[in-house]
Amino acid sequence: MSSPAIGILETRGMAALIAAADVMVKAAQVEIAGRHGVGSAWVTVVVEGEVAAIEAALRAGQEEAAKYGEVVSAEVIARPEGLDQMPHRSAAPDRPLGTQALGILETRGLTPLIAGADAMAKAAAVSLGGWASIGGAVVHTAARGDVAAVQTALDAGLAAAAQSGDVIATLLIPHPAAGLGRMLPAPPAAEVASCGALGVLETTGYVAMVGAGDAAVKSGQIEVSRINIGTGGRVALLFKGNLDDVQAAVEAGAAAARQVGELNASRLVSRPAPDLMACFAAPGPRKERANGQALGLIETRSSIGLAMAMDQMLKAANVEYEGSYKVGYFLTASAVRGDVAAVQAALDAGAVEAAKHGELVAIHLIPRAYTQLTEYLSH
Amino acid sequence: MAIGMVEVEGVAGIIAAADAACKSAQVELLGWDSIGGFTTVFFSGSVSDVGAALRSGEEAARQVAKKVVGAALNQPEPAIRQYVTLPVNKDAPIIPGALGLLETQGYGLQLLADDRMVKAAQVEVASVLTVHNRVVCSLIVGEVGAVKEALNVGRELASGSAKFLTSAFIPRPVPQLFQAFGRR
Repeated sequence: MSSPAIGILETRGMAALIAAADVMVKAAQVEIAGRHGVGSAWVTVVVEGEVAAIEAALRAGQEEAAKYGEVVSAEVIARPEGLDQMPHRSAAPDRPLGTQALGILETRGLTPLIAGADAMAKAAAVSLGGWASIGGAVVHTAARGDVAAVQTALDAGLAAAAQSGDVIATLLIPHPAAGLGRMLPAPPAAEVASCGALGVLETTGYVAMVGAGDAAVKSGQIEVSRINIGTGGRVALLFKGNLDDVQAAVEAGAAAARQVGELNASRLVSRPAPDLMACFAAPGPRKERANGQALGLIETRSSIGLAMAMDQMLKAANVEYEGSYKVGYFLTASAVRGDVAAVQAALDAGAVEAAKHGELVAIHLIPRAYTQLTEYLSH
Repeated sequence: MAIGMVEVEGVAGIIAAADAACKSAQVELLGWDSIGGFTTVFFSGSVSDVGAALRSGEEAARQVAKKVVGAALNQPEPAIRQYVTLPVNKDAPIIPGALGLLETQGYGLQLLADDRMVKAAQVEVASVLTVHNRVVCSLIVGEVGAVKEALNVGRELASGSAKFLTSAFIPRPVPQLFQAFGRR
């Protein structure tokens, strides 16, 4: 590493880290070298420069971070050795930010973030620049525009987000420092047309989301957009359609999620802003799925529990393994296919076995799973 | 045929478990898996080999980690192998020498400790594993004496903090360890 020293600032919360990185670069002669997150909303920025500059930058950074979140650690390493291949070095490349102001909205859970981002895009002339999660269900989005527009947008976003859940912070940076683009989420890849309404169903756990999605696609004429993984065990299903259909689907989905597992939040966004669609609801990856067979799902808080349960399921009945998915927060789920009676027998056997090896979170049987939903599932 | 599994909090525990398992019986390391704070290592072999490996693996893990659970699946369904999301990488370079593990909460403390360890002795950071839930574990490699010295320095630095989790010293790790836990 060529720089004489590095400075490390680790915070809980991304708004705190971005605010700190901005003032660090402005307070002293330092450059952003990379960033890394380790889950549970703990995120780190690493800066390079002379020792005295790093020290000055860290003092300013800590003070600023404390306004928006919590400082976990602040360290100076003079003449660092052997850190060239550390994970922060492979962080995102810089995206030059130009002269526009930057606004950050940070929430716990995707539903308040989506509600807030929609209000931001509708309140002022700002563009949404993607979203990201940093663990522990903590998510953030970025908006760009002139200072007054970003301020107006943040005020509106804060009010709307607070109505649907927890807001962690809002942050306005009138003139973002050089290199701050490395700290921000990847911008949306393509434009997405608006629609009558966007529905959001957010659960803790994968199986509850699948149960909710099944009820949603069967309740009306809706189209699944994608599944967003929000960390901390959160999974959000996004779908679109006309207002009445989406409303019915949100209600049916929320009721089903409560029956299968844990519903976190549900939300109907009427006439979503095109920016909101591009940012959160771009068509998700699809997998080819079998049609007509029953789908069985099981979720536990232990890989051993799940492996033991799956083995019993595959032995107990004529079912096939379809895949697994881990949504974080100690949750792991698997899916099997077969005829209804076989899947039911498999799930019964799996539930008994899983409970012997830790916590069984959910089991769910869908006698006829629609490919409209299953093609978008992550497992 | 059987599959053995050891699940722990953090990741250092399953590295120690994998090493002990492979040394104590004729088992093949399949890979490992993280579900956000808990990790699991999977290995396969004959029923009796897996039984012996499991006992050694669990015991080694308990020296290093909390919440250790182990289980064996006899005559497992073939699909169970598909569950392992981080299979061993047979092309990974095998690093000779000793292995030191230092596990902390948070990246800041880990960076500081890695720098001190590299400066304290002739060692290298072979990989840094982030398994969510704030857990970060560094794999330090070098000659036995160097790794021991570096680990002492790293532990001394980290153990003053509430963010220190655990450490382990493996003088002669089985080569397969780097195929499972090396830099990807």
